[in-house]
Amino acid sequence: MNPEANTAGEVSAVEVSHLTKVFSLGLKREYVVAVDNLSFHVKAGEVYGLIGPNGSGKSTTMKVVLGLMAPSKGSAKVFGLDSGDIRARNEIGFLPENPYFYKHLSGAETLRFYGKLCGMKGRDLERRVDELLKLVDLEGAATRRLGGYSKGMLQRIGLAQALVQNPRLVILDEPTAGVDPIGSRQIRDLIMRLRDEGYTVFLCSHLLEQVQEVCDRVGILFRGRMRREGALEELISVDSQTSITLEGASPELLGKIRELVQRDEGTSLVAEGHPRTSLEHLFVRIAERGEDPQP
Amino acid sequence: MSDEAPPPNPEPDRATPAPAPGARPVPLFSFGRVATIASGTVTQLVRMKTFYFLLAFAAVVVAAGNFNLPATPAKELSMIKKVSFGTMDIFAWLFAIVATALLIPRDQEDRTLYTILSKPVRRIEYLLGKLGGVLVVVGVSLLAMYAICAVMIGAREALFVAAEVEAMTADGRYSDAEIAEQVGLIRQQGLRAELGIAVLASFFKAAVVAAVTIFLSTFASSSLFTIIVSILVFLIGHAHSMATSFWLHETNNSVFVQMLVKLIKILIPDFQLFSFSEGIVQGEPVVYALVWQMGAVTGAYLLVFLLLSLLVFVDKEF
Repeated sequence: MNPEANTAGEVSAVEVSHLTKVFSLGLKREYVVAVDNLSFHVKAGEVYGLIGPNGSGKSTTMKVVLGLMAPSKGSAKVFGLDSGDIRARNEIGFLPENPYFYKHLSGAETLRFYGKLCGMKGRDLERRVDELLKLVDLEGAATRRLGGYSKGMLQRIGLAQALVQNPRLVILDEPTAGVDPIGSRQIRDLIMRLRDEGYTVFLCSHLLEQVQEVCDRVGILFRGRMRREGALEELISVDSQTSITLEGASPELLGKIRELVQRDEGTSLVAEGHPRTSLEHLFVRIAERGEDPQP
Repeated sequence: MSDEAPPPNPEPDRATPAPAPGARPVPLFSFGRVATIASGTVTQLVRMKTFYFLLAFAAVVVAAGNFNLPATPAKELSMIKKVSFGTMDIFAWLFAIVATALLIPRDQEDRTLYTILSKPVRRIEYLLGKLGGVLVVVGVSLLAMYAICAVMIGAREALFVAAEVEAMTADGRYSDAEIAEQVGLIRQQGLRAELGIAVLASFFKAAVVAAVTIFLSTFASSSLFTIIVSILVFLIGHAHSMATSFWLHETNNSVFVQMLVKLIKILIPDFQLFSFSEGIVQGEPVVYALVWQMGAVTGAYLLVFLLLSLLVFVDKEF
């Protein structure tokens, strides 16, 4: 059986197997284990989030998957190809954390540059550049040099360059780091759109709320080791508790519900109150729609 | 089963086409990718306004051309050429070092390298593209500097010839043959096609310096370190014959010193080889066999330093 294939016989987009990465610290003969016997896989078509605090080994894992680093032990494969195989890079679009592209190039020139590196040319390339500028909503800034782009715009042009050769896998390292809530929401919407269009997305982040919103499955990395992994719903649901959200419930009805709960042995009311929106949602609502924040 | 026609394709209007299935082949080597990186490097250097140094060069040439030296016209022209071509040579190798040293470490610091190498780009293509881009800019700069020199030398030559002919004719003691001989002496030091070979020699030297710098920048931690070490290598490379005569032919030197000098002679290119251009600038005849030989030596140095760079760069982790 193909070890990279999942139970349905499909080849995984990413297959990391017993990956260990050790760095030596200068001439002191001291070593740091950045990633320790890590195994996980990303299914084709899903959004997988690798989360963990700074220094947990997320970026190192990504670099190994990208072929920018060689594993000390174990292996990383992309659609069945060894991550060091250059053909694997045709299948990957990568957006690094805080990307600094060539500031002297405009948005369109940047996309043309990366497109040509992927062997694209002529009308196909021009069409792709136009599509991507539209996708990331930067058509109006296509001829402006990147030196004049905001952080959010840089992230979006970075995402566009990651998609230029139409890869099957998109790897995003802290895609919303340092971006304001509106820019962050735009990037999140783009990730969800990519998933809808069949791309596989593998992202690293320590912004847990955002990971929760976009990921199908997550892996929690801590000190180079995988602590928990699985479908998001399975990981975060509290099986012993049930929440019911009511709209327009009268005080009488609420009283009856409390009474019913009290009567039932083994059941207790844990919490009651009004659901809250997040501060981020509130901010976006005010900034984007000019809504009155007062209820 | 229903006989109804199947519904139209419900696929939404995609902004991006569906991802292609299967691994796409990547050619073993692509001149297209090298050219893309090279043209990106040229654009980068041009938009960094590096060509502004040509203004400084033009100022040096104009200043050299307007010194009124107490010498014959031929000697004055010789002096203008010496200063202009000497300055051109310095600008070329210094530019090659600084431009090359800024490129790779900067790409690494800015993480631009991550996005480039995460595309299907081989590392040799990246190195060749960077070197190629620098050499194009150095070549264009040298041509521009040569054009500036040519204008100045040509103008001064025409001025000197006219003045000399006028003075000798007015004197009345000189025959046409003597005037022609004097004009010939001035023209010998004037603008001649052979001066292009001196420019080519400067380009060869700058190309080798750029290749050495690219090798150093593959393992250097900063641009500053690369620039300093490259200049040091360049200076040591001008002391090959001195080192040979002083340390290797002196019998009282230890075996260790002799081995060290031999090692340095192997590792550091002999930049004195390119000084054949000085004779050309002074009006000596061009030995074309030597020019071809220098071209071959330059090619060999480029190949060796690119291979060394690749050895370091191919397994480098970012």
